Amino acid sequence: MIDLEAARYLWHPIAASSDLVPRHVFHAQILGREMALWRADDDNVNAWENRCLHRGVRLSIGINDGTELLCQYHGWRYANRTAGCTYIPAHPADAPARTICNNTYPAVEHYGLIWSGDSPEGPLPLLSTVDTSFVTPLRAVTINAASQQILLPLIQGYTLQLSDTGDGSLRYGADTPDAFTIILRATDTSSDRAIPAPDIAFFLQPVDAARTTIRGILCGMDEHNTDPQALNDLLRFHNRLLCNIRDRLEKAMADEPAPTPWIPIIPTVSENQASMPAINEDGRSASLRVRVASIESLSPSVKSFRFEPLSDLPEAQLPASQPGAHIDVHLPNGLVRQYSLINGPGQTDHYAIAVKLSLPSTGGSQALHEHLREGDLLATSAPRNNFTLRRDAEHTHLVAGGIGLTPLLAMARALHHMGRPYTLHHFVSQESELFFQDELQTLSGSYHAHIGLNPSQTAVRLADILASPAEHQHLYLCGPAPMLQCARTTAADLNWQDHTVHFEYFANPEERDDSSSFDVDLARSGLTLNVPAGQSLLAVLREHGVTLPSSCEQGACGTCRVAVLQGTPDHQDVYLSDAEKARGDCLMSCVSRARSNKLTLDL
Amino acid sequence: MMTLYDYELSGNCYKIRLLLNILGIQYRKQSIEFYPAAEHRKEEFLAINPLGELPVLQDGDLTLRDSQAILVYLASEYDTAGNWYPLLNPRTLAEVTQWLCFANAITASASGARLVDGFFYNLDGDACRADAHRLFRILDEHLWFQERERQDWIVTGTAPTIADIACFPYVILSEEGGISRMDYPAIRRWTDRIKRIPGFTVMPGVFPAGPGV
Repeated sequence: MIDLEAARYLWHPIAASSDLVPRHVFHAQILGREMALWRADDDNVNAWENRCLHRGVRLSIGINDGTELLCQYHGWRYANRTAGCTYIPAHPADAPARTICNNTYPAVEHYGLIWSGDSPEGPLPLLSTVDTSFVTPLRAVTINAASQQILLPLIQGYTLQLSDTGDGSLRYGADTPDAFTIILRATDTSSDRAIPAPDIAFFLQPVDAARTTIRGILCGMDEHNTDPQALNDLLRFHNRLLCNIRDRLEKAMADEPAPTPWIPIIPTVSENQASMPAINEDGRSASLRVRVASIESLSPSVKSFRFEPLSDLPEAQLPASQPGAHIDVHLPNGLVRQYSLINGPGQTDHYAIAVKLSLPSTGGSQALHEHLREGDLLATSAPRNNFTLRRDAEHTHLVAGGIGLTPLLAMARALHHMGRPYTLHHFVSQESELFFQDELQTLSGSYHAHIGLNPSQTAVRLADILASPAEHQHLYLCGPAPMLQCARTTAADLNWQDHTVHFEYFANPEERDDSSSFDVDLARSGLTLNVPAGQSLLAVLREHGVTLPSSCEQGACGTCRVAVLQGTPDHQDVYLSDAEKARGDCLMSCVSRARSNKLTLDL
Repeated sequence: MMTLYDYELSGNCYKIRLLLNILGIQYRKQSIEFYPAAEHRKEEFLAINPLGELPVLQDGDLTLRDSQAILVYLASEYDTAGNWYPLLNPRTLAEVTQWLCFANAITASASGARLVDGFFYNLDGDACRADAHRLFRILDEHLWFQERERQDWIVTGTAPTIADIACFPYVILSEEGGISRMDYPAIRRWTDRIKRIPGFTVMPGVFPAGPGV
């Protein structure tokens, strides 16, 4: 028997690199554990637990769209690299919970093979005695036998029986550095043989208790200097040899009882993921550490910033985001600012934001533009999405003003990749403020830049764009407050339904009135608190130990939303739509107050 | 308009629907309930096909049984480009025929196992599975070496042939008979390529592929 426990900590080959063709999902198994193995368009190799977190259907029958893996059953999408769920078609308006993240396993490419395992530690098998400057993988052959039953027949097949092949001069010496590796060295290196005889390394992949895949590589043979026909003959020769070894062994073992299959333990959600991230005293979590990898000027006033994790370790990996998500960036000057991620689908090895320098700056854009350098470290929150993109609209209209393009750019990239129809309008005051022009022109949706319009011209143009609301069409707006107000009013006048108009403000343009005083009943906690004039509901809640996530703290982002069970809220935010405000069943605890004497909250 | 005597869950009927759809041919479906009514063994149907087997194709005055024969007819009569059944090249034509016979062996084994598991047939399921695995090993090896030669299809050439269509259904449905394709990576990639042929259509138990690159 093999030492199963020890084998869990080893690297095992589970596929050949050439098995992972574009847009394919390879069905792998190692030590009884099934994996869905797929290469994203950015060449990243993903080795995932082979089950959808929803109903357990195998992901190996899913669709690799180059950036995400889709389950065939209900269309859940999982992001390249992180395996975080990015979209659930049955809940098109919601961002999936961050806990919906599949188990991932390490995967590396070496010797022309993909290596993975349960919890591999230490180095890959070292082939110090053979030349691995060139490797040519043989066709893998799977045998219905345990790996320890194969070792000897394989060595014998190569050392004893080669004389039967009519090439009597071919002799191999065998060496087994570990229980899963066999190195065969040609002892006769004369060059006048009919076919070349490079050294061979064999790796035994313990698939299951009674199944092993033999993965061989020819060592030191430069394929480009080998006649293709001769190489094919050589590959066929070894394939035949291995198949013969397989057939003889399986025949000899035909009457042996099959051992019990290995049952892999499927890890549950990690503690780290299942628990809520700690909330800082100021209510914003700064759970991630990132390095500023690059800064790029997109226009005279706009720079993009690329943040990368501090290491390649799995625990440093950045959580997946969806289009419309933003992060809190904790700036060196102590300020906390929210920026939309512009990442396209599958771009999961970094966060990208684009920031416009607004002068006079209240400190955020200036700190980023003038003081941040490549290599600096920053703290950010995990992505949060209160501006989610539905992907089931028959047509999606994206309307951006200035730097408000950022969340809509992420949306356009996602819609383009999914082949969903959309139109993108970008309003700017001058041509130099346009950015990402080249990319936007190449995306599938139609792209229109509107340059230098004054407010009344903008209103006319918006009325044009929004003229014919059709069913199952959705509108996403992001830009400066006056433009958003105008677009929302225009849409309402043109009979766009409230639930089809989605918007995100940079900031709350309204003057907030915190002169009222009111009581709140917390239904779950059993507390009654007074919110005095001059203090926010959020601050009072925190003082009494009721922690809530928050982000912008001015009623624009929607993070600190709380459900209202009774009473009439005085909203004061710009996150909720008019219909949502009229319903009165939720409020933004950072700015909302009460019109009634008392509110009962679901806290 | 031609008529296909069809059963939704039959892989042999599916291969005809597949080629009809790929060739863009309009046809009428006449459903024969294979299970549980066993209409294919009733007098009315035996008058059409005395073998009592599905599918049957009627095109004008021609009544044709046997799925492979129907593929041959449709490809040679309706594929104007002559790719699906290359009549002009004796060697290729013989290879296509060789793999049509191989497809019959897949039906006898992989479909047999599926009939046991899904339709309560009194066959030896384990023997069917063992035989299917023997055939899948041969097909996987063939396709792996085809890939080395940059060949996408079973028979060497620039386009798929009815050999691919004939082998596909009971390979892709094999898991319904308890036959995993995990050990056949070249077969799995080939099924992806078939699913990306323009006009490809699915049946219950067969999932579509996403777009290629």
